[in-house]
Amino acid sequence: MKEILEKLQIKEVNRGACAGPDDWYEDPEAEEVVSHNPATGEPIAKVLQATEKTYDQVLRTTVESFKSWRMMPAPKRGLVVMDLGQALRELKEPLGDLVTLEMGKIKAEGHGEVQEMIDICDFAVGLSRQLYGLTMHSERPGHRMYEQWHPLGAIGVITAFNFPVAVWSWNAAIAAVCGDTVVWKPSSDTPLTAVAVQHIANRVMADHGLRGIFNITIGRGAVVGERMINDSNLPLVSFTGSTQMGRRVSEAVARRFGRTILELGGNNAIIVTEDADLDMAVRTILFGAVGTAGQRCTTTRRIIMHTSIATELTDRIVKAYKQVTIGNPLEEGVLMGPLVTKGAVEDMMAALEKVEEQGGEIICGGARLPDYGDQFVEPTIVKMPAQTEIVHIETFAPILYLLEYEDIDEAIRLHNEVPQGLSSAIFTTNLLTAEKFLSHEGSDCGIANVNIGTSGAEIGGAFGGEKETGGGRESGSDAWKAYMRRQTNTINWSRELPLAQGIKFGD
Amino acid sequence: MSAQITLDTQIEDLVKNYPEAVGFLTRHGIRCIRCGEPLWCSLGELLDQDGVDDPHQLVTELNDFLKRK
Repeated sequence: MKEILEKLQIKEVNRGACAGPDDWYEDPEAEEVVSHNPATGEPIAKVLQATEKTYDQVLRTTVESFKSWRMMPAPKRGLVVMDLGQALRELKEPLGDLVTLEMGKIKAEGHGEVQEMIDICDFAVGLSRQLYGLTMHSERPGHRMYEQWHPLGAIGVITAFNFPVAVWSWNAAIAAVCGDTVVWKPSSDTPLTAVAVQHIANRVMADHGLRGIFNITIGRGAVVGERMINDSNLPLVSFTGSTQMGRRVSEAVARRFGRTILELGGNNAIIVTEDADLDMAVRTILFGAVGTAGQRCTTTRRIIMHTSIATELTDRIVKAYKQVTIGNPLEEGVLMGPLVTKGAVEDMMAALEKVEEQGGEIICGGARLPDYGDQFVEPTIVKMPAQTEIVHIETFAPILYLLEYEDIDEAIRLHNEVPQGLSSAIFTTNLLTAEKFLSHEGSDCGIANVNIGTSGAEIGGAFGGEKETGGGRESGSDAWKAYMRRQTNTINWSRELPLAQGIKFGD
Repeated sequence: MSAQITLDTQIEDLVKNYPEAVGFLTRHGIRCIRCGEPLWCSLGELLDQDGVDDPHQLVTELNDFLKRK
């Protein structure tokens, strides 16, 4: 552990507010937060949390730096992000290990998360030469119309524990090439990965003689989070978290006419049809439901399976679950680590009580695993007689609900019945069924897949969902537009002054 | 740990210091962890949002529950 921390410049006590190289701030009244290894309960290191005072110090630099950063040509900004990607490549292994150590996801997933950071940096570098605007034909003679995209400002990024570094990079890399500066509030459950990323970003900023482009304020939601969402210096707040918190963020930012990107809860399902390849389906379900111990936004939480294959599929999923190796996520071969906090374990156990009250039958798992540690649980499969109230709720834990259907319309109705709309999938070999699922009357989610699962998105597509998932889009495709302001320009190169719509005024 | 939860207790502190409270509240239909993260509000605000009739009584029961733990 010591070696990992040293490589990433993590000390025993770390400051939690920073606006660039040599710009770490400390308030004598700062509260300490201790980061624990969720697998062992042992403390890893401490962070002095940002206060309102240090938030203000960081924000001043973030806002001031925007004035010069926005004037640097976008392809030059891309070179800075290219170096960020390179620095992440060099530190992929220790940073991935730290993700595992602090958050509890298995090593392959921790390293995969850092790879996602690298990938989005590569994407952003290319994007820095492609921030295209349209040109339009003017209805007025001797006129030219076009639109251009300007940098937006200093933006706030609030992320959750489950992807402690990747979600920052989805926002920060794109925002940076768009000419924005970024202030980040990570989860208080994963402060050390954030400190490590800030050190990496500082190194890159120092190499380019920059400060205030990538900034951090690690602090309580009730202090730093509330300040950010109510801060009119931030024209955009990108928030990843729950629907309930997203509603609060959305209302506060809208009150000051700011913009939000909301990445909120999911309740993702896979429909498995009677003609599906069950070998592929079982492997996918296992990865989607058990990976990251069921703590991804895109975790597979519901299986909607045709009655004709329900018994076989259920038996095969249960068999696969029984082969899952649970343990310390840093160890090779382990497929499932702990939940992030003791509170998360309590939440899961209380949800399983509700499951039984509502007629659900736990057919696999359902128990704590105290021999492994306080935060370990069994991955759990529940057979539900109907899609009851508890199934409509996203419990952030490895609980998989099994439901059956008779015809595809019923399957799609069940699929779309929940309030969330993030990710979805169908396993079928029938082209017509696949296309129906992807059609206007099919899945109502932001992500809809055929013969692959609900999780494990690539950075090239826009990531996000509908309904109570919030409607935001991050990462690839044209998600960059949310980080810029559009300006429509009309230029008159004639010596006349014609009005639009043929209006004559005082001629 | 002697429990001293009040309506002013921040959910972030409640979840960190009294994780057993999460299960107690979930059983009462109050969810203070969403997407694995604690909400940014006080217990009183949360109970108010969820329309709890007698928040003082619930807090008393919560403290009793935690003392028994």
